[in-house]
Amino acid sequence: MAKTKTKMKIFTIADYEKEEKWLESKHAEGWKLTKVVFPVFYVFEQTTPEKIIYKLEFNEEEVTEDYLKMYQDYGWEFFGSHVGWNYFRKLESEIMDESDKEIFSDNESKVEMVDKVFKSRMLPLLIVFFVAFLPQMSQLDRNIFGSSDIIFAIIYLILFVLYVSLLVYCGIKLIKMKRDLENK
Amino acid sequence: MDPKLRKIYVPMSETAFYILFSLQKPQHGYGIGLDVKEITNNEVSISPGTMYGTLSKMEKDGLIELLKEEEKRKIYQLTPLGNEILQIELNRIKRLYINSIGEEYYG
Repeated sequence: MAKTKTKMKIFTIADYEKEEKWLESKHAEGWKLTKVVFPVFYVFEQTTPEKIIYKLEFNEEEVTEDYLKMYQDYGWEFFGSHVGWNYFRKLESEIMDESDKEIFSDNESKVEMVDKVFKSRMLPLLIVFFVAFLPQMSQLDRNIFGSSDIIFAIIYLILFVLYVSLLVYCGIKLIKMKRDLENK
Repeated sequence: MDPKLRKIYVPMSETAFYILFSLQKPQHGYGIGLDVKEITNNEVSISPGTMYGTLSKMEKDGLIELLKEEEKRKIYQLTPLGNEILQIELNRIKRLYINSIGEEYYG
């Protein structure tokens, strides 16, 4: 049986292109991704080092047979889904021209995917922020001094800062990606 | 025709145009991609994500319909509505072309 290893790595919803590049570099080193285990574990299997293109498509619709068949016809191997992302790869030697490297050929469909990520991932996070985090915050403000809840308050504040940073980072990045695509 | 559809499809993207144009005869997604490459001398290619998404949208909008499924490939064809929209677009492009070479266009 081939040797396997598991790596922990965090990519935000706005970093899928970085994730593709990382998977490509792993494959070039002789480690092929076999599956992603929730939330951040990547399972690799040892293989011959090869130049492979990896692509992630955000698509929450059911993966149907005709959908997979079309990607397969175009030379893409589907090897799994993980929280709304479908993972595809293709041998670089099978690529005849630039367009074979992409799963989206026009900017409109690329923008559409960024929009989908925004709507189904960013919006829920924003809603949680406004209905759960913020009201809780005002509560803290009242109790923070001289309260036995000080440890809770500190943990809460750290989480709050992490949450806000993540929201701002992903929000700005997704908006920037969209703007770059629209101006291309 | 529904003004909303007119707004979406007139004028339409190159991708949408070639997909409708190709579906004047029954074809599946990958086959459309090959047809388009051939008639445009490899200058226009439509990737699977774009192809799948556009076909699904056009089917929902009633421009094309599913004819049958063969070996897991969905084979589509133009509906009368799809053909109507294609003709509007073809006329628009013809007018554009005729005007651009300095001749007069008579509809």
